[in-house]
Amino acid sequence: MNYAVLSVPDFALHALRRSDPSLCGRPFALVAGDGRRARVTEASPEALGVAPGLASTLAMSRCPGIILRQRDPGAEVEAHRLLIAAAFTLAPRVESTGPGCCTVDLRGADPRQTEALMRLRSAELSGVGLPLRIGAGATPLLASYAARCADPVLIVSDPAGFLAPLPLSFAEPTREQGAVLAGWGITTLGGLTALPKAEVGGRMGSGGVLLWERAAGESTRVLRLVEPARSFAAQWAYEPPVESTEPLLFKLRRFAERVALELRGAGFVAERLSLTLLLEDETDHRREFRLPEPGADVEGWLRVLGGHLATVRTDARVAGVRLVASPARPPEKQEGLFDTGLRDPASFWENIARIAAIVGDDRVGTPAPADTHRPDAFVMQRPAESVAPPAQVPVHPPFGPTLRRFRPPWPVRVTCLEGSPARLEGGRLEGTVSAALGPWRGSGDWWKPGGWEVETWQVELAGGGLYQLARTQGDWRVEGMLD
Amino acid sequence: MPAPSQTVSALRSLLAARFPERTRRPCGGVPAAVRALDDALGGGLPAGRLTELVSAVPSGGGQTVVARLLASTQAARQRIALVDGSDGFAPGAVPDDMLRHLVWVRCQGPEQAFAAADILVRDGNYAVVVLDLRGCTERVLRRTPASTWYRLQRAAEGGSVAVLVQTQSPLVPAVPWRLILDESLSLADAGAPREDVAGRLAVRAERSHAEAAGELAG
Repeated sequence: MNYAVLSVPDFALHALRRSDPSLCGRPFALVAGDGRRARVTEASPEALGVAPGLASTLAMSRCPGIILRQRDPGAEVEAHRLLIAAAFTLAPRVESTGPGCCTVDLRGADPRQTEALMRLRSAELSGVGLPLRIGAGATPLLASYAARCADPVLIVSDPAGFLAPLPLSFAEPTREQGAVLAGWGITTLGGLTALPKAEVGGRMGSGGVLLWERAAGESTRVLRLVEPARSFAAQWAYEPPVESTEPLLFKLRRFAERVALELRGAGFVAERLSLTLLLEDETDHRREFRLPEPGADVEGWLRVLGGHLATVRTDARVAGVRLVASPARPPEKQEGLFDTGLRDPASFWENIARIAAIVGDDRVGTPAPADTHRPDAFVMQRPAESVAPPAQVPVHPPFGPTLRRFRPPWPVRVTCLEGSPARLEGGRLEGTVSAALGPWRGSGDWWKPGGWEVETWQVELAGGGLYQLARTQGDWRVEGMLD
Repeated sequence: MPAPSQTVSALRSLLAARFPERTRRPCGGVPAAVRALDDALGGGLPAGRLTELVSAVPSGGGQTVVARLLASTQAARQRIALVDGSDGFAPGAVPDDMLRHLVWVRCQGPEQAFAAADILVRDGNYAVVVLDLRGCTERVLRRTPASTWYRLQRAAEGGSVAVLVQTQSPLVPAVPWRLILDESLSLADAGAPREDVAGRLAVRAERSHAEAAGELAG
């Protein structure tokens, strides 16, 4: 197979249906023309008794409740871009052949892998509202014939056997040619190609030769290639503007499906998403999300976007939405032989993002020491993908009970006896000190503004309880409990 | 007519006989590296269950249990999550090497803590989730609907995560294993290796439905 054709039958119909949730599962048809002259061009399977060419009034009488709509160019453009994105995941040489149809040059591709990919793409696009049929063959024409017969993928390995039973209309004869061939009793492509090509040319002229070549699937052409997507963005204008999140999420899902496929086709993943809500009062609401795990997972994106949209309140209705994905190369890593990785990385990063939405971005992660001796100085880092084996026995193993901090520290009044804390008084902690250890003095950053100096004590209260006290510039605070 | 206590005992016996898997002693999932606690739990924190550790007195050693859990999970190369209801964990109090497998959630109240714990318990990537509610306002904690706890228990069941809930007073309804730290550490422990400090912790099992039912059944 040298070429593949990706085709969506009733493309305008499916494009409109996947952009408008109200049409799902209901009988509807596309019409062309105005008023009484309007005629059905495409009808959904639910519209029983309605066929292309039927007058709109007749369609309404035959199928009560049918929804008649004009074609939606915006929805068709979006759906066609999705189709092109799917084609680019098969091979990099893609032609946009027409609405709902594109041709891919597969020469050089691994046939087995490509067939598996074609089936995968077909299932994926069918799942998002575009029933895709893919045909593959030695020439673009043969591939297009195959696409018309595919369910959902058809690879033609025996052209003569495949073409023989196909009706003559596949080769698109002119009315005159059709009449002549019907007079000869020829109704199939196989019937025509059974005749010698030169004899057909002698009787029907050059048009007959071209028809014979089309019937044999031999006709070839140079593809008009399209450029792969360079920016990974999508935008939609709502008419009328919307007030709730459902239509936003529906449209964002459609965007995400297409943009994710474009990224995959280009060998990228998204590391950031930028969401812009264009408001009716000509202002906008913009938010950028750094994805916890760079990827092209539509559901993961939607959870991030949906989680944010659930908290957004705008002063005006939303007139448009724009989604931009920042591409990055997929992360590559090699873990240590004895490291323990994540059982479910997608779930791990997704849950970290969900918790960050609850507690704040900077309040979830793995703590690491900061580059200072200042008390309680640490930085929050992104959790490690794997748990490394323990290091050697630490040089300074931990001693004593573990500190649990009070954030912020509790102010306390301390009465000292012979330089050592003897009694604590304050709003939250009172008592006589039965034993004290200290002081430990520390200071830093004294050479610049924001220098610090602290004196630390550990005390035991007569009533029980070990606490860590800190004195800074004469003020005492309880830093935490030794627990 | 039998006395109510006899009826309850008979019912417990019946349940213990019919559902022995629910009444057996826990076989530890994750060793806490605290002898008294591991002994009480039959080897460590049971996987798929909630365990409540009540710090009934100040400096009872609850944070030392957390520090030891960090050490033991790291030795086993497991991941641990600490849902810190009052943001009290001090990273500087444990060796840097023992922080690398920790996911610390710094909550600003029990509401956030419950929401985060609910997510983490279902995650499947953690061996232990510690929900530390010490330092949270007691009045707010008491208002926590029992359904929140049951939801957490149901989330843990069937999974491989051990959930340790740290509280200042008994809080978790119908918890399988509640352990109480009711002896304060002293300043004399400040110079001892932490491993020894952990070995001195006094842990008392206050109530265990499972054990009680098991004994009655026996």
